[in-house]
Amino acid sequence: MSELAFISLGAAPAASPLARALAGAAGLRDLSLLGKLEVRGPAAGRTVDAEVIAITPGRALVVCEPDDIAALRESLSGVVIDVTSALAGIELESPELMRRLTDLDLTALPVAGRFAGVPALVSPCDAGFRVFFPQEFGHSVVAIVRDVQDGLR
Amino acid sequence: MRLPPQPGERIDRSRGLTFSFHGRPVPAFAGDTIGSALFASGRRVFSRSFKYHRPRGLLCCSGGCANCMMTVDGTPNVRVCVEPARDGAVVEAQNVIGSLEHDLMSVVDHLGRPFTPVGFYYRTMIRPRRLWPYYERFLRNVAGLGRIDKHGRRTVRTDTEHRRVECLVIGGGISGMRAAADAAARGERVLLVDEGPPRAAPEGFELLAPARAIGIYEGGLVPVDAGSVLYRVRAGRIVVATGALEQPLVFPGNDLVGVMLPDGARRLIRDFAVKPGERAVVVVADDRALETVGYLRSAGVEVAALVDLRERPLEEIRAVGRQGRVRSVQLDDSSFDCDLLVAAGAPQPAYSLLAQAGGAIAYDPAKGSFVPTALPLGTEATGRAGGELGSVAVPRASYDRGGGEKAFVCLCEDVAEKDLKRAHAEGFDSLELAKRYTTVTMGPCQGRLCHLASVRLCAREEGTDEKAIGTTTARPPWAPVKLGLLAGRDQETAKLTAIHHRHEEAGAQMMWTGAWRRPYSYGDAPAEAANVHEAVGVIDVSTLGKLLVLGADATVFLERLYPNRFGDLKVGRVRYGVLSNDAGRIIDDGTIARLGEDRFYVTTTSTGSEGVFEWFEWWNAVWKLDVEIVNLTGALAAVNVAGPQARELLGRLTAIDVSREAFAYLDAQQADVAAVPCLILRIGFVGELGYELHFPSLHGEYLWDTLLERGADLGVKPFGLEAQRILRLEKQHIIVGQDTDSESDLLAANMPWLVKFEKDDFVGKWALEHRRDQGNREQLVGFEMANGAVPPEGAQVVRGGRPAGRVTSSRWSARLNKAVGLAWLPPELAQEDAEFEIRVGGQLERARVRLRPFFDPEGERLRA
Repeated sequence: MSELAFISLGAAPAASPLARALAGAAGLRDLSLLGKLEVRGPAAGRTVDAEVIAITPGRALVVCEPDDIAALRESLSGVVIDVTSALAGIELESPELMRRLTDLDLTALPVAGRFAGVPALVSPCDAGFRVFFPQEFGHSVVAIVRDVQDGLR
Repeated sequence: MRLPPQPGERIDRSRGLTFSFHGRPVPAFAGDTIGSALFASGRRVFSRSFKYHRPRGLLCCSGGCANCMMTVDGTPNVRVCVEPARDGAVVEAQNVIGSLEHDLMSVVDHLGRPFTPVGFYYRTMIRPRRLWPYYERFLRNVAGLGRIDKHGRRTVRTDTEHRRVECLVIGGGISGMRAAADAAARGERVLLVDEGPPRAAPEGFELLAPARAIGIYEGGLVPVDAGSVLYRVRAGRIVVATGALEQPLVFPGNDLVGVMLPDGARRLIRDFAVKPGERAVVVVADDRALETVGYLRSAGVEVAALVDLRERPLEEIRAVGRQGRVRSVQLDDSSFDCDLLVAAGAPQPAYSLLAQAGGAIAYDPAKGSFVPTALPLGTEATGRAGGELGSVAVPRASYDRGGGEKAFVCLCEDVAEKDLKRAHAEGFDSLELAKRYTTVTMGPCQGRLCHLASVRLCAREEGTDEKAIGTTTARPPWAPVKLGLLAGRDQETAKLTAIHHRHEEAGAQMMWTGAWRRPYSYGDAPAEAANVHEAVGVIDVSTLGKLLVLGADATVFLERLYPNRFGDLKVGRVRYGVLSNDAGRIIDDGTIARLGEDRFYVTTTSTGSEGVFEWFEWWNAVWKLDVEIVNLTGALAAVNVAGPQARELLGRLTAIDVSREAFAYLDAQQADVAAVPCLILRIGFVGELGYELHFPSLHGEYLWDTLLERGADLGVKPFGLEAQRILRLEKQHIIVGQDTDSESDLLAANMPWLVKFEKDDFVGKWALEHRRDQGNREQLVGFEMANGAVPPEGAQVVRGGRPAGRVTSSRWSARLNKAVGLAWLPPELAQEDAEFEIRVGGQLERARVRLRPFFDPEGERLRA
């Protein structure tokens, strides 16, 4: 009873609902199925070979490939919660699009803040930016991102 | 008629275009403004004034004053002197009945006292009081600016863009360009914003034009209006290079058509190759204005008289007009025929943004204007905005020596010199008071052209100097801005469950619950409810708040938060809990499942999840217990499977034993359901055998689909919120926030069994003890109607003809074949079978108290 299996995804679904909403969008990619672990503790995620986004002191988000979640969990100390299903994510290429969606300083990433009106974690990546936010806002966020993108054309 | 090509002119004579003014075509060139094209086509009257409906013409030609405001393509109050001419634009005059030349409302100008002096509406229209709404409506129709279509929809999309730069330069004149180039040369990231016209960005920095900085806010935030995009700029350093504003002189007839500011005349000639008049009188107070004479002469305008106030201070200026247009000007003892009077006093540095940023502004008697004296760190002023005005003459407060027309101080609001005098005589001797009483400086120009003049007049009336009077407070916006631009994009965010699209595909009618969208029903709520009683229904309850409470002190934590016990809750069991605040009032409810010795799973109401999470976090910080709280609300989807066939359906999808003995009422188990890892809570909000499945939201659609497919032969159907409300009301289960309010406590809400006064302490204990000792003032009970009438929620309970309580919930129950509900009643009435009346429409309908659940009072179906 005390294992919290129902929080972890188990076998991943073939596609996330957000991938459907993003179909055909240029410069946008769904990241919802990436593995995401929230780590709590004084040294949250400090010595891990994966992308780490600090949320607050003592709390961090560790992002990994879906297959690596179990192994990564083992290597982390402190309280570890699988938030793969909690956070949706998209990758955006355009800095101009980012500037219309968030007031965060894009030269000081990763950082927690607001994006398209919802709480988000933003990190840099080779293609541009990765943004993670509560999955229940996913469709609203995609609608806003695509609309703002239209406005830039 | 255009002049021959002027050096540096903005118009492109090879590209013509046409817009319409009151239906008539007006030719223009690319690069023209609507104002310059109208002037070139012979139009001299551009507007009628705010109050007196006096004809007004181009004055500043730089978008500063209100003289040229028209309605363009339905947008009111557009300053056409800076609005680019567009092919096909529809332009109309505003605040006019008739035409600009023959405005029927100009009769107001000739009525005189007692109807129009300053503040007249405060005195002449206050009695009888009840007539004020009519006066007000009349005044609002007579006076004013353009009209907006109140029912119009948004036609222009607006966006907000966030920018961070090291150096922001506001104003693209000589000083601004130099400041930007210097900063760029030092390697800074520079953004320069300029009012326009659009032009190519120079090497080294970014230029945004046309764009206006509308204020400097806390933290150096500068919103920049660029038409359809609002740039929110944060800069390390802000350089204000907004230049200086030419100041009209105060003299009789100073608002006549043909009276212009020097820069206005210069722009017409230099930028648009338009001759501003035939014969001009020029009165200037500084070198820049003096340069205008050269432009006038080269354009072929005869200069009948030129007075430089630095050499020859005048005593009197009087413009004499006919039909609102200048015909002659008197300067002291000499009179000159003319159709153009170019006049201005010492310019005023455009300091508003500096003042908003926290800069100190003070009157400089040598410069005859207010200049910045000290600026906050990170804010700089350069050029004329900083007070570099060269040699100037300080003009008189007024050049009126009696006789002639009104001498206006504030053109926007039609405030004349005599109005300010009168306000002073009535005791409005402070500038801020006089401003509010006369509305001077409160019009569209926001004091650009009238603030300095009003200070001078105040000083003269008060017998002091301008320095003693000081300035009024500068507040954003410094430039007019459309509300639509400030509002930004018009989408709002909604929370959608992981199963949302299945509800839409099923044709569900959606409704808001807090930030969530939820299915109200799938078409027939009573049938959905009946299906739960007879077969099995599924409802998406993913919106429930879901909190994990972990840690060695988890039990202690919940014992202190809830009035009931959790220490004795066995692992694998579920218990109902209601949270109270310090005042003993109900704040939320939900179920608590014990997953292990040191871990609990807590659900909250859909709208309460954030609040409860914060409530938990706050108390955890206060008590410093060994507890971690994890908000899983969005991480997990949840589906309640309820109805007599629920066991059969669940049994088909899971390997665990779901028999009555192995999985009892109020048990919690973790198990795979259709290969999805689930937490299953056996609870019964809707009064039938039910299982609430909590599982990762990414599996939401899959598990929902599987439940509907595998239960098809059992008659499984989705049900919405309305069906759930009927079902729970049959059981008298309350909804926090609907049946309770911020005054309700557990004792009055008929749940005293949840309050364990014998516990050491819990949040709200003291208050609940106090309430217990005082007794309930009212009580929440169930009722049924004597006949079929369903009272509206909120209906009044009546007893002996007097109000005695209120209905919080009511529904027709097909299952019970009667109308039932919950109501707050006086305690003496809250007895089984007690009768009372409820106001339904105009009628009083009889009702009877029922203290036990209407449906399955023993809970046999729940425990089945």
